[in-house]
Amino acid sequence: MAVNLAVKIGSMVMRTPVTTGSGTFGFGSETKDLVDLSKLGAVCVKATTRERRLGNPPARMCETASGVLNAIGLQNGGIENYILEKLPYLRQFDVPIIVNVPGENPEDFAYVARRLTETGGADAIELNISCPNVSHGLDYATQPHLTAEIIAAVKAVTHLPIIAKLSPNVTDIRPIAKAAEDAGADAISLINTVIGTAIDARKRTFKLANKTGGLSGPAIKPIALLAVYRVAQTVHIPIIGMGGIMNATDAVEFILAGATAVAAGTVSFVNPLAAIEIADGIADYLTQNGFTDVHDIIGAVQ
Amino acid sequence: MQALAAPGHFVLTFDDPETARDARPGHFIAVAATTPANAGSSILRKPFSIFTVDREAGLCTILFSVYGPTTSTMALYKPGDKLDFLGPLGGRVFEADPHSDVHHVMVGGGYGVPPLNFLAKTIKAANPNAKVTLIYGARSANLLVGDDGLREAGVEIISCTDDGSLGVKGRVTDGLSPLLAPPAPDNGGASVHVYTCGPTPMMRAVAELCTAHNKPCQVSMETPMPCGIGICVGCVLKKADGTFSRTCTDGPVYPATEVTWQ
Repeated sequence: MAVNLAVKIGSMVMRTPVTTGSGTFGFGSETKDLVDLSKLGAVCVKATTRERRLGNPPARMCETASGVLNAIGLQNGGIENYILEKLPYLRQFDVPIIVNVPGENPEDFAYVARRLTETGGADAIELNISCPNVSHGLDYATQPHLTAEIIAAVKAVTHLPIIAKLSPNVTDIRPIAKAAEDAGADAISLINTVIGTAIDARKRTFKLANKTGGLSGPAIKPIALLAVYRVAQTVHIPIIGMGGIMNATDAVEFILAGATAVAAGTVSFVNPLAAIEIADGIADYLTQNGFTDVHDIIGAVQ
Repeated sequence: MQALAAPGHFVLTFDDPETARDARPGHFIAVAATTPANAGSSILRKPFSIFTVDREAGLCTILFSVYGPTTSTMALYKPGDKLDFLGPLGGRVFEADPHSDVHHVMVGGGYGVPPLNFLAKTIKAANPNAKVTLIYGARSANLLVGDDGLREAGVEIISCTDDGSLGVKGRVTDGLSPLLAPPAPDNGGASVHVYTCGPTPMMRAVAELCTAHNKPCQVSMETPMPCGIGICVGCVLKKADGTFSRTCTDGPVYPATEVTWQ
């Protein structure tokens, strides 16, 4: 029995509910020998900023118990480099493109969003208002009114679906999600990484040059699941759930908590095909449990 | 399947004709290995340099010692078990100096020795008359136990120990210096090309010595590699031009002049 896996995020149609997670899949071409991008629900590329960014000095990553701590620092070639060098490869595939956009002020966000809109460089824009590695703790996504300010600035320059990527590093994520919805966001993605650090006892130094980093991987899955559930109880726009998803069962849990779609993030480091295999596994789950449509289980946790 | 190369060190042989065909010195594989008991505690793949290849048999080997969950699992593997790996990985690998009269000098330490062993054999296979020397620190001597083919292939081996009990007294740079400084009676005046792989402080000392003597030097950089395939951008080193380079896909081998040492 065929099952329907297709979902919509604003006007963007995803063939499966599984996208790659920003920063965990490069710009798509790195895995050209391994991954057929057209089998993904969407491809979410690495953060793209107005100007080129060199990123943070090494060490940038270290493994922790059931997780990975990173402080990459948004290394990327800038929006014009993306349009010229990255986009042509991505557009060879019949797959929606989500571009993750960070910025230091509303003008930066709007500039990149406008360029993406003018050039057909994206099918949706994920506003990275929650990267813990560049903001010095002043993420836009820590304050409802700052979240709304960025979304409004981008809404004014694009018709593309806007996805607000929220931070777990807040007291209560619900008013921030509500502010994003009220400001016109078409969807919410969560969670970004959980801020943390790691120390080398032998050297008596921080393990990351940046001292702090963002934690991802299975270690943060319970935090992410609760955030998705709470936000799903708060807003009416779709949620893209992420945070420690390693397999289809994890993904189903996020959908049951209220996510319409999910992202395979850190798992792609281990298995670049994970986002495709997880979608297959969701289909198997639906079939085995007598469902015909992924929508039947969105938010269905009892 | 695997054998104990020396106390605490394992040689793991795996059957993959494509990797055996394509692997070149400096390439590595990224292994995922867990048991039900430790699944999830360490989720990332771990990189291992290719040690030997047998193209006709389609076999490759890697060397490892037990360090964490991945290698603990690998140490339990039995003949016939399946190895979950990506590879061969690496963008720029060792390039043998094409000049026939060059003296190839390899300087290794610890787990930097396996790819140099592979390189030495590759150079000798292409040109049996090539002059090849491998210098290594005594602490890594036991890593050569698993393969005694180097001397048979005509590779000169110089070991260096702190107390002089074996080979040259001192560090690998003490073994390297006489080969770089003119006049060079040992090499008949031939030009020298240095290849190094091992702990970063050792490679830095080797690279700086080569720079001082104006000799070409290739370094295989060792940084933690979360993905090994270029998507995480976590394994970077800072290059001399100020940019950050992914050692997994832009390296791991660089001309010594391109890297900075931090």
